[in-house]
Order: sequence, then structure tokens, then C-alpha cells
Amino acid sequence: MLISLNWIRDFVELPPDLDPRALAERFTRTTAEVDDVRRIEVRACGLIAARVTKVAPRGSAPDPRLQQVTLEVGLGKTVETASIAPDLRVGRIVVYAPIGSSVAALGDIVATTVAGRSSIGLILPGEAIGVEKAFQEAIFLSDEFQPGQPIPAELFDDWVIEVDNKSITNRPDLWGHYGIAREIAAIVHRPLIPYPVVAINELRDTKLPEVPIKITDPRACRRYTGLMVEGVPTQPAPLWMQLRLGHVGQRPISGLVDLTNYIMLDLGQPMHAFDEAMVDRIEVDWAKDGERFKTLDGVERTLTRGDLMIQSRGKSVALAGVMGGMQSEVSEATTSLLLESANFDPATVRKTAHKLGLRSEASARFEKSLDPTHTVLGIQRFIHLARSMYPRLKLTSRLSDGFPSPCPPVTVSVNPLHVSRTIGRDVPLDEARRLLQPIGFELTASDTHWTVGVPSFRATGDCSIEADIVEEIARLIGYDAIAPTMPRVSVRSFAPNSLHELEQSALRYFTTAHGFNEVQGYIWYDAAWLRRLAADPGPCVELANPAAEGAHQLRRTLLPGLLDAVTKNRFHFPALSLVELGSVFEKGDRQDGEFRNLGLVLAQRGKRDEDELYARVKAAVTAWTWQQFTRSVSFSATTSAQDRPWEHPHRTAAMTIDGAPAGRMSVIDVSLRRTMDEHLAAWSIAWAEVRLTGLEGLETLTEPLAAIPSFPLVELDFSILVPKTTRYAEVVANLRHFEHPLLKMVRFVTSYEGEAIPRDRRSLTFRTVLGEDSRTLTDADSDAFRNGFERHLKSYGYGLRVS
Amino acid sequence: MDLVQLAERIADIEARAGADLKAVAAIDALRGLESNVLGKQGSLGLLIASVKQFPPDQRGQVGKLLNEGKTRIKGLLDARMAELQTAAHTDNADDAAAFDPTLPGVAAAMGSVHPVTAVQWEVERLFERLGFTVEAGPEMETEYHNFEALNIPATHPARDMQDTFWLTNGMVLRTHTSPVQHRAMKKFGAPLRVIAPGRCFRYETIDASHENTFHQIEGLVIDRDIGLPHLIAMAKTLLAEVMKREVELRVRPGYFPFVEPGIEIDMNCRICGGAGCPTCKQSGWVEILPAGMVHPNVLRAGGIDPEQWSGFAFGLGLTRLAMMKYGIRDIRVLNSGDLRPIVAPARLGGPIVWPE
Ligand SMILES: [Zn+2]
Repeated sequence: MLISLNWIRDFVELPPDLDPRALAERFTRTTAEVDDVRRIEVRACGLIAARVTKVAPRGSAPDPRLQQVTLEVGLGKTVETASIAPDLRVGRIVVYAPIGSSVAALGDIVATTVAGRSSIGLILPGEAIGVEKAFQEAIFLSDEFQPGQPIPAELFDDWVIEVDNKSITNRPDLWGHYGIAREIAAIVHRPLIPYPVVAINELRDTKLPEVPIKITDPRACRRYTGLMVEGVPTQPAPLWMQLRLGHVGQRPISGLVDLTNYIMLDLGQPMHAFDEAMVDRIEVDWAKDGERFKTLDGVERTLTRGDLMIQSRGKSVALAGVMGGMQSEVSEATTSLLLESANFDPATVRKTAHKLGLRSEASARFEKSLDPTHTVLGIQRFIHLARSMYPRLKLTSRLSDGFPSPCPPVTVSVNPLHVSRTIGRDVPLDEARRLLQPIGFELTASDTHWTVGVPSFRATGDCSIEADIVEEIARLIGYDAIAPTMPRVSVRSFAPNSLHELEQSALRYFTTAHGFNEVQGYIWYDAAWLRRLAADPGPCVELANPAAEGAHQLRRTLLPGLLDAVTKNRFHFPALSLVELGSVFEKGDRQDGEFRNLGLVLAQRGKRDEDELYARVKAAVTAWTWQQFTRSVSFSATTSAQDRPWEHPHRTAAMTIDGAPAGRMSVIDVSLRRTMDEHLAAWSIAWAEVRLTGLEGLETLTEPLAAIPSFPLVELDFSILVPKTTRYAEVVANLRHFEHPLLKMVRFVTSYEGEAIPRDRRSLTFRTVLGEDSRTLTDADSDAFRNGFERHLKSYGYGLRVS
Repeated sequence: MDLVQLAERIADIEARAGADLKAVAAIDALRGLESNVLGKQGSLGLLIASVKQFPPDQRGQVGKLLNEGKTRIKGLLDARMAELQTAAHTDNADDAAAFDPTLPGVAAAMGSVHPVTAVQWEVERLFERLGFTVEAGPEMETEYHNFEALNIPATHPARDMQDTFWLTNGMVLRTHTSPVQHRAMKKFGAPLRVIAPGRCFRYETIDASHENTFHQIEGLVIDRDIGLPHLIAMAKTLLAEVMKREVELRVRPGYFPFVEPGIEIDMNCRICGGAGCPTCKQSGWVEILPAGMVHPNVLRAGGIDPEQWSGFAFGLGLTRLAMMKYGIRDIRVLNSGDLRPIVAPARLGGPIVWPE
């Protein structure tokens, strides 16, 4: 919402030397956020009005729009000038810059030659005099200016304050200059000038007929006020009005349209003018399903019940609160009007505007829930302004008002103790009254409570409960004036959120103990990336309105994102350790589920490092589960999922903790690496993905610390030769059957394939630790153990490697 | 050989070693002497190998004698070695000159957390010190939790402001961490002190200062007689601790249906130092902490009696705070997976970065 400071000055007497930026800052701190403050500085000097007396096209070169225009510039003098402005018709009066005049945008105006012909002065385009939206268009003047008449320079300069629309969604009163002026008056402690309107009685001439108004659903149309007038000729709005509209981003269109726009931006009340020849009575009713209606932008639209229509004699003439119809639009032939000033249900307007993609300045205001008293006030204002523009203006109806269920005034009971509780100090009645009165609130007090009368222009928005009144007092005192104090609180204990704690400690563990670097990615898949990986996303939870095409599926695994990160980073690092913690989503039979996953990826340059990386990821996960839960994690070979190409066809493991699935782990096959990025063909990549959701319930076991042995322990190593196809887990399971009173512990040392052992064998070295709590072991003890253990190994057919 | 003879032999070896030691002046020579005595073929070594000559019932005592002797001799040798090494170092000026304690250590793999996580942990620790519990909620939320429970009915214009990501299952990606307010009230009741960090989503066009995926930390305090001074004090403490400096705050009205009064707490922009930049929308202020007094309807929906309790809530812009703290100018880097700014926070494009 753009605010013209010149406009505000109509309603509040502001000091001439007021700093608009300082004012804007105070407005931000008291009322709503100002996004921008800018100066419109035309520095006009010597501009005059001029009448077009002849227009001749100049042919095609160099610009086909170029016209030779003859202008009457006063005292019977004419000049010829070149212009590309459209709509330059004979008789129109324009803003003209004669030789010797100047504006900031163009500098000093001197005689020039345009395409070989001399051009005297300049018909000023809108943007040169601060009306940006009228780009290259001439600004047309009404007969308030005669040819040759100087145009006062002070009309052009202004300050524009841009208020953030989002910060006034709850303040319907701030969608017009008068409401903004009321706030500014309160901020600078100056009186607000009463709104200039004609007296209501002037509009209630009972000799004039009433406009028939019928409202079918009073919830959808709270109020409809109409008035008929005639004597409204086609002519431009006064220059001051056009300029103000221009300063707040409206393109001047025609006198009548500019006037209704002006009132909308003045009071915040949208208005519409129908050609009385087409519309002489009003029915507000729902559209019929499938009804076709041509809006005034020329588009034919299909409507449904739920779209509210303005109809006249059964014929639709406007989409209520959104846009008028093509047929009933005011044209140059229009001589009399039916003015609409209405109040529609915000939700209804919003729904229709959204559905049809027709959000207008009017619909934006209706959506905020406007003050119903403004329908009448808007018409009073219209007549007030129109009388100065159209001397022959005449009312042809009396003010007609459909207001089926007027709402009672809103009062709020306020406990002064609650005011001081929120603000942190006592606020005496006098102070509260002094603060609230300028913004229209009436305050009366009983022994214990204040009764606050909420003005109608605030009652439809955000003021209905005590806290709302407290807010008004607090912001007018100024939030900066509130002294910070720490609260006095009650101490209590809270049951922890175990999943959150598990997540954070896992992240802390992998990043500190194992040197992983955390990355974060989007929670939706990138369909193009999945296609490239030849991955089938499977059944996904889907977005109805994705951020981009192909970003509609929520991720079921962190892997695609992590692989993307590998691809991105491989240029910059010779090795990568990535960890990501995030949500994944699964479609469910009855309800879709969200789970927290932790993904780990190790990648490094070197084709043959796969086993090493796999072992490192596995070691990290194993160490974590032990550190976190004092539990080990089991790994078993599993078939890779078809739709997850990052699972190697025969090098994928499923992880379980206490028998429950905990995640998966694999290495990336060379063909996929090559697809990701051809350079990655020379890399090795291993990964693990752990599902944390579910693990938070695992009880952490506490193991007693081991006692230090009193007598020395003896270590004996055994290297066992097994066929390569035999699984380590199977060997260990068999070893476990061996029992011996001296055996304290067996540790895995290493696995070896290569020289000195047969090709189809693998050597697994275990270290046994022997001890006795009451004595030092002898050689005989060791020998006896060795014999027994070797017998056990042989019983499974395992050979021993002699070193 | 009996036990007595063995003891004598050990004493002999010990005495000779003691004498030889004094003559040794070089470290290498001392190592030679050590091997001559203690090595497998050394004088004591051979004696140790002979232990099997004794009858089994004496072997324990034999072993004891030998071990004790070996320990004593080793002690003599070690003491002389220490003397020689000290002498060598003081004498050897070259060695002292060659020792460079400023050389870097061997590089160890350094892990790192995402900047947002780093700030999140800092904020969590800070609030834990203040007696808050830490909660979390789902990213895929029900309409009820994201809107209705927060005093945002279906017809409320605020639903437009929220720019929501809708899912085809009728749920939403939460637009703020505020749904956790309701969840925490239901879980704990009053009094309550809770923060809830997490990811939020808004349907928004991405540019250098806007993301559709970002982090917030929700904060909620419910107790007797809670007011705005408490909220502002908490905000000041929080921001000053995270930024490690006094921060300048601007408090202004803000509108959020679940608080009343609603405020916006802005912090002076660190990226531009207040001169204006895209991150602060040229204003010199960064919106960092939308906040307010919890709306009575929200307390009621959470099962808490607004006559008995009052509270404040805030939604700290965690991503924005991380940007301020680390001087990140482009928000897009945070979800890009690019490790460069995170692992090597070298000011690329800034002054030359030299190794430490
Ligand atoms: Zn800035």
C-alpha cells in the first residue's frame, strides 16, 4: 500500500519541515511496517497547459508512433512539437513543457529536431511528472486549466511511503489514506481533520425515487448502498487527483474511474459505477452453476453457486466485490450513473477472486472485512468530490440502503490489572484514555473494569477481546518504552523428547567422533535427478502445489539428496564424509507416516577403496549403536531393492538392532557412479541409512565397568582358513560353541586373502584372551587351551594357518 | 647350579654391567651393552634360558630371582640412557634448532555441523540453562495443528499470507514451528517452558534472501503473570548470547493470529552494518523474532485456562540468525549441499586466506 504524504496532509496538519523517513520509522514502531520511503521530485519549472489543435502522423521512420502535434499555448500562439503519446486528439489539454522550462527527468527543454523536423518543447509523458504507470502517455487536463495557463509546480512533488501489505491484513482501516492519517495524527499528537463529506441529509431527498435493492443472502452481502446521479460528463479528473493517484501507483484512466479509485484509496471503500441505462435496480444473489459472465477485462468466465453476483432485472452485471461486467461498464455515452458502495463477505470475495485469478484492489480490501458504515460514507465523499469536478451534477435518486442486519457496536471489558501485567507497569485510566481517544476508542471506567467502545472501523478487524485493547495501549505507549525484565517462573521437570535427543546426539557423535560433515537438503525429490539415476521413487506422499515441476514427491530416503551432494562436492574435495539428518515420508494404508532418518556417505577418489569405505561406515555405525544403546547392530546380506539403484546388487546389508530393522547399507556400483558423474567412475562410495524413529524407545543398557585383572592375561592368536564363501558371522557363531574356563574374550583381528594362502580361502585371525582370577597362568595352561581350541576348530573343518 | 649359585651369577652380571655403564658415553654404545646383557644371547638372557635345568618345584623361585635381577639391571641401563639423552640434547645445538613447534600437526579429518545446527545447539543450550525443555514436532502437519489450533480458522485471511505447501493427503508442510506450542501444551500443561527447533516450509520463490525451506525455533513460556517485559528480556538475552555481542533491537507491532498483542523483534543487520542490503530489505533491520502474548484461544485449545495463566511465544528465525552470525549473504547455500562454505569457511572473494 503506497501512501502519498500530500494526501495525508489533507487530514493532519503536519509540520512543513517534517522528516518523512523519521515519520515512517515511528509508524513502523507504532502501527505497521514501512517497506520504503521515497521522494517524488519532479523539480518542475515553467510548465503550462496546452491544447491539441492538430495531430498528423509522421509516417514510419524512425518510430511509427511519431506524430506531429500542433498545440495552442495561449495568447493565440501555436507551436509544433513531436510526440509519441497515444490518444492525442484535437481539443485535449495536455501538460506541456515549453522551451526554457525544465523538469528533473529531462533537464532544460531546448528546441530540437526530431527526424528532420524541428520540435518546439515537449508534451510531457506521465513518468516525467511522477506518474510512472502512465509511461510515455500524456497527462490530460480538465478545463480547470486553459491553454497557456501555468501549472503550479508544488503539485508535482511528494513523498511516498510504502506500507507492507502483509502487516495490515488485520487492519481494514489502514487500506485508505484517511485511516493512515488517523494513526499518524495519534503518533504526532495532532488532531485528525474530520472527513470532508456532504451531509447525509442532502442525499435523503424523499422527493427522489429509491433505487430498488434486494439482498438474497445477508451473510454474503452485509450492506449495499446505491445512489443515482446524472451530469457526469467524460472529462479528465483534476490534475491534483491524477497526480496523487499516480504517486500511489495508479494510472489515471478517466475522470469517473479516477474518482472511484480515489475514494477507494482515500477511505478504503471500493466503489463501482454502473451505466444507469443498463442497471437501474440491484439484486445481490448467487451465480447459477455454469453461468457464463464476461468481466470488464473482456474475458468470459464460468461461474458456480458460491460466486456472488450483482444483478439487475435478473441479468448479471458484476462479480460482487471482484470486477464489473463488460456490458454495464460506463462508457463515453454514459450520462447517468448508478453508484455502488457495498460491503461483501470477505471469505466469499476471496474465494471467487482466488478461483478466477482476479485479485483486484477492491477484492483485496473486501477480503480484510470492511467497516459497513463506510458504504454510506463513501457515497457522501463521492458527492463531495464530484461537485467540485462536475458543476452540473444532479442526484436522480435518494440514497438507498440495503442493510439487512446492522451489527451492534462492539464494547470490550478490560481488567486494568491485565493491562499492567502485559505492559509491565500500571497504566492509569487517564493515560489509557489519552492514548485510545485519537484512534477512535471510547473508554469508560467502573470500580474494577474499563469498558472500551471499539470504533466501527476497527470492529470488523482485530478488536474484539481484552488482549486486543491491551495491544492498542501497548503499541501507543511504544514497545521500546517497555523495560525488559526476566520472568519469575515455576520450576518443574519435563519428560524429554527422546527422539529429538537421540537425533541430536547421533548427529553430534558422527560429526565429532567420526569426522562427518553435515549437509541439509530439500525434503522433496528432484524427479530429473531420480530419472538420471534410473530410480523409481515408488509410492510417495505428494505435494499438491510443488515448488517446481518434478518437485512434488516427498523423499522416502535421504540417498538421492546425499548422492547429489557427492556429485556437487567431488570437484572440491578428494574425499567426502557426509551426514544428513532429516524427515522421510511413507504412504500408509490409512495414514501417511513421517520418519526421521540419518544418512551417512563416505566417498573418495580411488577405484579400489570400496571395501575400506564400507568397513569404515560399518565401524562408525557399530560404534554409535554401542555408544548410544550399549547394543550391537547386526548386518546381514540382503537383496537390493530394484527401485533403489544405490543399493549394490550383491553388496547390500540390512541392519537390525535387537532383531528390529534399523536401516540399510551398501556401496555404489560403478555404473551408477558413472551415471551420476563420469569422474565418479574413478571413486569409491559407501553409505548407510539408519531409521532413528523407533530407536528412541530402546532402553540404554548400563554395563558395569570391568575390574582390572589381578593376574596377567595371556593372549593367543589363531588364524583360521575358511572358504571365501563362508560368512564371518557363521564362523563366529561356530566359535561361540567353544567353552573353556580360562577363556575371557575373543577379538577379531583381521581378515586376509592373498599370498601364502590358497586362492579359494580366506584367513580370519582371532585373538583369544586367557586368564584366571586367582593365579598366573602357566605354559601348560596355554598348551591345554590351544589343543582344545584347535580341536574345536577342526571339528568344523576349519584349517589353521601356520605363521 | 643351585639357587645360591644362580643368585651369585646374577649379582656378578649386575656388578659388571654397573661398571661398564660408566665407561659408555654414546647412546649407540649403551644400546649395544643392553643387548649384551639382556638380549637372548646376552649374559642374563642365557641365564634366563637355562631355567629349564631346574626341577619344576624350584622354577617359581628361579623365575623370581631372574626377574628381579633383570628389573634392577634394566633400571641401571635406563638411568644411564636418560643421562646420555639429556647430555646429547643440551650438547646438540643442531637438534634444538631443528625442533619446530610451529609446524602444523598431521591433518586429522575434521567433522562439522551445518551452520543452522550449530546455532540451533547454541540456542538449545542457552534455553536449557534457563530451565526450558526441548520439543519437536512433525514437518508434515495436520491443518488442525498448523492453523485451527493456532486461532487461524479456515476463512482467516492469514491463511493466504502463509503461502502453504499442501499435500494431496490433505495435510500441509508446516508453515511455522508454532504447531508445537499446541502439542507441548497438550503434553505438559502449565506451567511450561519449552523451545522447539525445526524445519518449516513456505510456498515462496527462492532468491538470495528467501527460501521455501528454513528453520525456526519456537519458544513458549506459560506461567503466572507473564508479560511483554519478560518476552523482550528473553529476546535480548537470546540474541546477545548467540551473536556474542550486544544487539540493538527494534520492537514493533506484528500481526499473527495466535498472539495478542503480536510483535516483531528486529535485530540490527550484521551483513551490512545497518547501511541496507538485500538480506535486510535495505532497512538495516532484520526480522528475527516474531513474537507475542499467547492468544487466549490458543491457550484454551491447548487445555490451559487463560484466566489462570498467561504466556508469551516466539518463532525465532533460526536460518536468518545463522546468516547473521556467520555473515552468509545468500540463503541458497544452506540447502545446496555444497560443503565449501561450511567445511572451509574461507571468505572466498575476500582477503587472501593463509594456512594457520
Ligand atoms: Zn543489511
